[in-house]
Amino acid sequence: MISNWFKIFIYHLKQSKLFSFLNILGLSIGIASVIFAILYWNNENAYDQWNPNKERIYMSLNKIGSTGDTWASNSIPFGETCKATIPEIESICFFNTWYDEDVIKYQDKKVLAKNIMGSDENFFDFFPFEILKGANKNILKEKNSVAISEEQAKLLFQNEDPIGKSISYNNDHYTIKSVYRIIKPSSIQPTYVFSNVKREFDLNAWGNFNYGLLVKIKKDASAAVVLKKMQNVNFVNRTVKDAKESGMTVEQHIKENGQITVILDQLKTSRLHGTKSSAGRNYPEGVGNLKLLYIMGGLSLLILVLSVVNYSNLATASAIKRAKEVGVRKIVGATKNQIVTQFIFETAIIVILAILFALAIVEFSLPYYSNFLNKTLTMNGGEFYLQLIMIFGLVIIFAGIFPAVYISNFETLKVLKGNFSRSKSGIWIRNSMLIFQFGIAAFFIIGALIVNSQVDYMMKKDLGFSGDQVISIPFNKADRKKRTEQYTVAKQEIKKIPGVLDVSAFAGTFGGSTSSSSGFKHNGIFVQPRNVEMDFGFLEMMKIKIVQGRDLSTEFASDTVSNMLMNETLVKTLNLKNPINTIITSGWGNENGPLKYKIVGVVKDFNIVGLHEKVPPMVFINLKTLKWNNFNNVLVKVSPNNLTETLAGLKKYWAANVNADYPFDYEFVNKGFARTYEEQVKQKNLFFILNLVVIIIAVFGLFALASFSMERRLKEIAIRKTLGAETDTLLKELSKQYIIFCVLGFLIGIVPAYILLQKWLEDFAFRINISAVPFGIALVSLIILTLIIVLAKAYQVTKIDILKYLKYE
Amino acid sequence: MITIQNLTKVFRTEEVETAALSGISLEIKKGDFLTIMGPSGCGKSTLLNIIGLLDSGSTGSYKLLDQEMINLKEKGRAQVRKENIGFIFQNFNLIDELSVYDNIELPLLYNNVKAADRKQKIEAIAEKLNISHRLKHYPQQLSGGQQQRVAVARALVNDPKIILADEPTGNLDSKNGNEVMELLTDLHAKGATILMVTHSDYDASFSQKTIHMKDGIILSEKLNQRNVDVFMDAK
Repeated sequence: MISNWFKIFIYHLKQSKLFSFLNILGLSIGIASVIFAILYWNNENAYDQWNPNKERIYMSLNKIGSTGDTWASNSIPFGETCKATIPEIESICFFNTWYDEDVIKYQDKKVLAKNIMGSDENFFDFFPFEILKGANKNILKEKNSVAISEEQAKLLFQNEDPIGKSISYNNDHYTIKSVYRIIKPSSIQPTYVFSNVKREFDLNAWGNFNYGLLVKIKKDASAAVVLKKMQNVNFVNRTVKDAKESGMTVEQHIKENGQITVILDQLKTSRLHGTKSSAGRNYPEGVGNLKLLYIMGGLSLLILVLSVVNYSNLATASAIKRAKEVGVRKIVGATKNQIVTQFIFETAIIVILAILFALAIVEFSLPYYSNFLNKTLTMNGGEFYLQLIMIFGLVIIFAGIFPAVYISNFETLKVLKGNFSRSKSGIWIRNSMLIFQFGIAAFFIIGALIVNSQVDYMMKKDLGFSGDQVISIPFNKADRKKRTEQYTVAKQEIKKIPGVLDVSAFAGTFGGSTSSSSGFKHNGIFVQPRNVEMDFGFLEMMKIKIVQGRDLSTEFASDTVSNMLMNETLVKTLNLKNPINTIITSGWGNENGPLKYKIVGVVKDFNIVGLHEKVPPMVFINLKTLKWNNFNNVLVKVSPNNLTETLAGLKKYWAANVNADYPFDYEFVNKGFARTYEEQVKQKNLFFILNLVVIIIAVFGLFALASFSMERRLKEIAIRKTLGAETDTLLKELSKQYIIFCVLGFLIGIVPAYILLQKWLEDFAFRINISAVPFGIALVSLIILTLIIVLAKAYQVTKIDILKYLKYE
Repeated sequence: MITIQNLTKVFRTEEVETAALSGISLEIKKGDFLTIMGPSGCGKSTLLNIIGLLDSGSTGSYKLLDQEMINLKEKGRAQVRKENIGFIFQNFNLIDELSVYDNIELPLLYNNVKAADRKQKIEAIAEKLNISHRLKHYPQQLSGGQQQRVAVARALVNDPKIILADEPTGNLDSKNGNEVMELLTDLHAKGATILMVTHSDYDASFSQKTIHMKDGIILSEKLNQRNVDVFMDAK
């Protein structure tokens, strides 16, 4: 039986090579898009799943009552008190929630290492990577110990045994205790894990939220109980104490200042479903982009649905050709089920071919895709093959069953009598599927247009500053305490380099925000503005405007002592009618209590952070005011002429005077800011590619369907022509319904497009409004596309030889 | 073998009811060779289709091998059909995409005959119908007579209890037509039960009995003289 089916299948495959090929191609594109989504999905969901403690490890986060910000960082005494007083906690681990990047030295060898991790002695208890060499236990217990990854060990020591060797990092010497192999993917994938992350001055400071904190609870302990107890630790040690200090009752204090809410995120689900912290990432590897994951998943499913509908539609339309065969089979004894099985069998072969084709497509484009997601994705693992089998099953069910049942329902008598080909059965289903396809196409076109205009808007928006010709260069002087002094000296030297127009610095980056933020209260309003510690002339160089008062200047001695600027947002938040000369009690202080500052100017709002977020409240003070020395880059405005030589000059200066250990590195400020919408640019490109795919599939589907249905009307056309119909009238007659379908499909597509894109845009504080334009463009382009395809086919059909079709049948 | 009593068939459209058969009674015994004749629209094809279980009657009774067929479900009819009935059509109804061999094999496939038996049966029937040398060809490569012989082979390969032939010579020239009629006569002589619909008096003369129909009723029945057979044998 199978061989009989197979013969027929091969025959039809050969008969319509082009259609068969396009059909398989369409399906394989749909399947490929789902495979892409699955690979991404698998990767994101694989994070930390290898970790045997994933269900018992929780990250502690703090939601700050007064601002509503969520911090992924904790203070040391909080963690220690929890460990000491809560019996359900087995152990805790402090670690840096970020990676350091620094030079690691061994004897005279130097490597610039990324992903450097600092933690306490419990790190490997929480992330039990495979230990290849050295100690298995108490790896980081001793002071100044370090564990090092396999790759870095090879890099530094080649074939030597690294255990016991001393390496230097950040002016300290560390002894290598173990070599480990990272198990990927993990929320922390460090190249080095250095011990003693806990700094002396943080040990008893409840207010220093400087560390990531992981708690491992005992096997049968409940996380809810632990959370409750941790909340209590915070209440007793912080809220109650703070209230006492401020001389208020606890209730009163909470009412005015709120209190910290402790949040626990399980490691198992933290990557994708963890609490969003204000820093944007909780673990150094960041958080999974659930939104992009859903977008990818949704769009790829939509494409698969489109291609499945396409297949199903074509199979049904071309079933006419198989009518006689089915009739004969039924006469000689085939049951309905056997006919259904036969056609599902055919679909199965096509789906197998399509899957193979899809795997080839994926294999070919995986590098680009990995690059798009900034990941290394691979096609393997039992899970993946299981998913493939599931896709296979689902596609067969959805693509195969409808046509198979449709065909098996052909009435034997009608088929064999030969007047079947003009029957209208199934037409309305095919037409509704066509309308549905138009709907999907409309959705994609509208989506692409809106995403495109948002990205366009972001790229062209006036950011309130001008980064043209300004480059940012890391200023890695070893001794941070002297940084401002060193910078002041270096600034004069750098200015002398030909091509350098201006030099400045501030503690932060454009697109990445500032290095610090400090809260204070004024007139009963609590604010947490970003601190901009800047050099004189910084605002002018970046063309940031002053709207009231004046800029800080070297002319006023008090500008490095007690004067500050505010931005418009902060002035507005504080309700200051006449901000100039207002005295503010700041969040900064010294032994004599909080410091007071006078506002001397108001800075026009500019976008320091990406356009997702509103302009934050900001205060501006001079670098020398607080002497925090926490700026990392020097901004250099360069002349557009002879840029190469200017850069060479800068490089030479940096190597000689700043830090020879670091390779000279620079970035244009505009490019740095562009990184904030990098993802949207990628989404735009993604949408563009998917759009092409969707349109190709839809166009092919439309063409094939139009061909089938017009070819069935050949006799009618021949009769009309005999009776004197002109080509124009015939074309109109033949195309009319498709235009109606097109418009109907469009109407179906607009609603989801509007809702989903509105949702997508909600992520941006600065965004376009959805106008009628993209909808108009989508409708017009869909109609034009439809007309081209349908008219081309219709024209071909009207050129038929009348005699041939009048004689036929 | 077949007993039909008071069989009616009514076609309904939204407005009109048309009785294609009104009260037909008929009996076909094992080994009979029966012809139905009549003008277009007299109901002869409807009757044949009902007997062939491609269609079902509205009222009355149709017993095939003492089993009531009226009101039998599609699935049951398919089952009875594939085991008992062989069809021969005016337009042959061979599957163009399959070779002669594969075409003849179809009923065996659907009756779950073992592969070895299938081959044997196909070769035997092809031998009998003189198309052994054509097994690998496709229907379009054969003459009309050869195609009809393939169709006959397909109808016979599963040893049906009755053969239904719907104008078997309608698409054939007289030479090929004759061949097919001789084939049927031959089968009849060997004991096959045959029911044939035709327009041709000549073809009808090959059968034992001719039934004339008009407007859904049987007008007359007439026994044919068998001198043709005798003549054929003498030859």
